[in-house]
Amino acid sequence: MKAEDLGKKSNQLITIEPDDLIPLPYPYDDPTNEPPLKQLTEEQRARYEASLDGIIAIGIPKPSSKEEEEGFVKKFISGLEKLLTPENNWTFLQPLYHSLEYCVKCQICNDSCPAYIASGKKEIYRPTFRAEVLRKIINKYLKKKNRLLLKLTGSDIDLNWTLVARLGELAYRCTICRKCAQVCPLGVDNGLISHEIRKIFSQEMGIAPKELHELGTMQQLRAGSSTGITPKALGNIIEFMEEEIEEKTGKKIKMPVDKEGAEILLIHNAGEFISWPENTEAFAIIFEAAGIDWTLSSDLVGYDAVNYGVWYDDIQLARIAVKHAEIARKLKVKKINVGECGHAHKAMIVIADRVLTGELNIPRESALPLLQELVCNGKIKLDPSRNNFPVTLHDPCNMVRLMGIVEPQRGILRTICPQFKEMEPHGVENYCCGGGSGFAIMQSMNFPDWRSAVSGRIKLKQILEVFQDVISPEIKKYVCAPCSNCKGQIRELFNYYNVNEKCGIFYGGLVELIVNAMVDIKKPFIDWEWH
Amino acid sequence: MNTFLAILTYFAYCFIVLVYTIKIIKYLKLPVHLRWELYPVIHEEKYQYGGSCFEDVNWWEKIKKKNWSRGVVYLLKEYFTLKNYLTRNLLYWIGLFPWHIGFIFIITFHILCFFGALSMVLGISISPGSQDLWGRILYYVILLTGVLSFVAGTLGSIFIIINRIVDKNLRTYATPLNFFMYLFTLIVFLSGFYSWYFVDPHMSEYREFWKGLITFQFVGVNTATMVHIILFDLFLIYLPFTRSLHYITRFFAFYLIRWDDEPNIRGGELEKRLIEQLNKNVSWSGPHIESGKRWSDLVKYNG
Repeated sequence: MKAEDLGKKSNQLITIEPDDLIPLPYPYDDPTNEPPLKQLTEEQRARYEASLDGIIAIGIPKPSSKEEEEGFVKKFISGLEKLLTPENNWTFLQPLYHSLEYCVKCQICNDSCPAYIASGKKEIYRPTFRAEVLRKIINKYLKKKNRLLLKLTGSDIDLNWTLVARLGELAYRCTICRKCAQVCPLGVDNGLISHEIRKIFSQEMGIAPKELHELGTMQQLRAGSSTGITPKALGNIIEFMEEEIEEKTGKKIKMPVDKEGAEILLIHNAGEFISWPENTEAFAIIFEAAGIDWTLSSDLVGYDAVNYGVWYDDIQLARIAVKHAEIARKLKVKKINVGECGHAHKAMIVIADRVLTGELNIPRESALPLLQELVCNGKIKLDPSRNNFPVTLHDPCNMVRLMGIVEPQRGILRTICPQFKEMEPHGVENYCCGGGSGFAIMQSMNFPDWRSAVSGRIKLKQILEVFQDVISPEIKKYVCAPCSNCKGQIRELFNYYNVNEKCGIFYGGLVELIVNAMVDIKKPFIDWEWH
Repeated sequence: MNTFLAILTYFAYCFIVLVYTIKIIKYLKLPVHLRWELYPVIHEEKYQYGGSCFEDVNWWEKIKKKNWSRGVVYLLKEYFTLKNYLTRNLLYWIGLFPWHIGFIFIITFHILCFFGALSMVLGISISPGSQDLWGRILYYVILLTGVLSFVAGTLGSIFIIINRIVDKNLRTYATPLNFFMYLFTLIVFLSGFYSWYFVDPHMSEYREFWKGLITFQFVGVNTATMVHIILFDLFLIYLPFTRSLHYITRFFAFYLIRWDDEPNIRGGELEKRLIEQLNKNVSWSGPHIESGKRWSDLVKYNG
C-alpha cells in the first residue's frame, strides 16, 4: 500500500488479525489465546467512518449528501492552509516545516514505533505514512505543482472525503510518544505530524474525540475538571480522603485547600481523586510528614492538572494553561507542583512556558524532585524492607523523553524498593504505555481493544519480560507508573489480558510506595486490591 | 566554449549560494514556536542519560550556562560517520556512507582547487616537486580528496540505487526524482573518476580552470574534464531543488527545535517575541474558536 491509496475505495484498508501481532512472552506465548479485536456492528459501520482498519477512535459521521462531502474536504484544505501560516500556527510552524521539507524517507524511525511494530508492521501505522500523505496533499492542492512534477515527486494523490476521514482516524493511531523523532538523524518529527493533523480537525473542522474535547477540555473549562468533578464535589472527595487516611494510617490530616501564600500549589490529575485516591492521599501524608507548606485549589480548573489540549488543539492548550497560572497567581503561591501526571507535566511546565507571559509566568515544577529530596535526604523515615517485592518502573514519555526527568523516580525506587529492576529499554529510550496522547481515556466503540492489543502491546511485553523469573501469580509484583494516564492504560491493558490474575502483577504510583515504606505507619499502605 | 564553461561555473556557484541563502533565511524567519524539545538535550549537564534541569527542585534558580560546542561536535561527528544509520540499518549505511563522503569530498575538492588556483596566481607552484611546502601539500590533498570523492561517490550512488530498489521499505517511498538524483550523482562522480583516471591524473586541469576563473582569463580543458565540470555545475544548480539543504537545516532542527530548552523569563527578549505572536489574529474557524480574534483574547475563555 502507498500513501496515495489512502483515499481509494475499499470497505476496509487493513484488518488486524491476532496472528499479525508480535508474540508476547509466557504466559501469553500461545497466539491462539490472543483475544480477537471487537468487531464493529453493522449500524456503527453504516454511521461512522471505519474503513481504515475497522477501528473507530473519533467517530466521523458519514456524509449524507455530495455537498456535505465536498464541504468536508474544502474545510480540511482550508485548515491545512492555515496550519502553514505563521499567524495561525506560530506555535508549531517551524518544527512542522522542517518535518515536511527535510524527511529523506530513510525509514530509520520505523522500528521505534510501538504501534507499527506491535501490529506486525501494518503499512498505515508506519511513522512516515501520515507525513507522506500530508506532503502529497500539500504538493498537489496547496503548492499546485504541475502534473509532470507531481508524477516525478510521486505526489499524484486524489483528495476525497474518504481520504480525509481516514487521515483523521489515522492521526489517532499514533500516541505522539515521539520515539520516532528521537532516532531521526535529521531532526524530523513524525509524531508532530499526527499532532498537526489532529489540530486541523479540531481547530478548523470541529472534529475531535469527545473524551478529549467535549468531555475533556470543554468540560474542564466549564465545570472545573474533565472528570466532571465540580468544586463542591471536590470538597466531599477531600473529606472522604481525609477519613480514609485516618482509617488506613491513624493519622489525622487536614488537607489544605485554597491556602493563600502557600509555598506550593499542588495540582493533581483529577482522575486520581476518582480512580486512585490513594495517590493523592499519599501525597498529603508525605507532605504533612515533611512539613511542606502546600495547598490544593478548589477553584474551577485549579484542581485538575490535565490539559488535553496538548494532544489536539493549541488554543485549548493555551486556555487551560492560562487558567492554571491565573489560579496560582490569585492564591499568591510561590510555585506550582504537578503531581503524578505526565502530560500535565509537559503541558504546564514546558509547552505552556511560551504561552504564559508577565505575571502569569509563575514557577512550575514536577513533584518528583521534591519527593526525591524528601526520600533520599532522610526527611521522612522509611523502611525499604516493607517494599520487599519485585518492582519495575514505567517511564511516562512526557516526563522522561520529553522533559528529561529520569533520575528522581529511580533514585527513590533504588532507596525504598530492594527488588527494583529496570525494564528494557528504559529512561529516555522507553516505550510508550500505549495510552499516550489521549488514548488512555478514549473509549470510543472498539478503540479500547486496539489500544490494548496494538499500541500497548510492547509495554506489556516489556513488563512480562522484566518479571519473567517471578511470573507466578503467587508472587505479588508492582509496576510503578508515576502518571495517571499511563496508569489508566496499564489498568485497561492488564484487564484485557487478565494480567493481575494470571501473573500477579499490580500497578500504581510512586508516592504509594513511599508511604508504604514509612516507619510510622503500622499497616501496609498498598492493599494489592485490583481496581 | 571556454567562456561558456566559465559563465556556467560562475552562475552555478552564485545560484546555489543565493537559493540556499534565501531558503535559510526563510527557515530562520519562521516564528518562535512552543517548546518541543526531546531528551537527551546535548547541552544539559546530565545529557549522558537524558536528564535535564527539571530534575532539580526550583530548577529556575539553577539554570547553567549551555555547552554549545558539545552539540557542534555531536553533529559534526554524525556528519562524518552517519553512526545512527550504521547502528540501525547497516545495509543502508553501506550505500549512504560512501555517497555522503563523496559529497563532502567533492565539495572540499573544488574548494581546494580554488585555493590551489589562488596560490598559483600568487606564484606558488602546485606539484609534487614544488619548492613550496604549501604547494606540495595542496597538490596531494587535492589529489586525495578528488580521488576519494569520485570513488566513494560512484560506489555510494550504485549501492544506494540498489538499496532503494531492493529494500521494500525504501522502495515504497522512493519517487522517480529520487532515482533521477541518484543517477545524476552517479554520472557526476563517474565523470570525475574517468577524467582523473584517463585524462588528468594530477588534477592540474581543474587548477588551471580555476585560475582562469580568478584572473578572468578563461582556459580550455580536455573534453572529459569539461564534461565533469559541466555536470558538476548542473548538479550545483539542481541541488537547491532537492532536500540537500538538510546538511544545514539539520543544525537548525537540533538547535532550534530538538535542543531548544530556552526558558521564557519575565521581561526577557523571548517574552517580547512571544507577546508579538500572541497579538496576532487567528482565523481558525472551529466552533469553539472566535475567528478573527487575537490569540491573547482567545485564551481568556471560560467555557
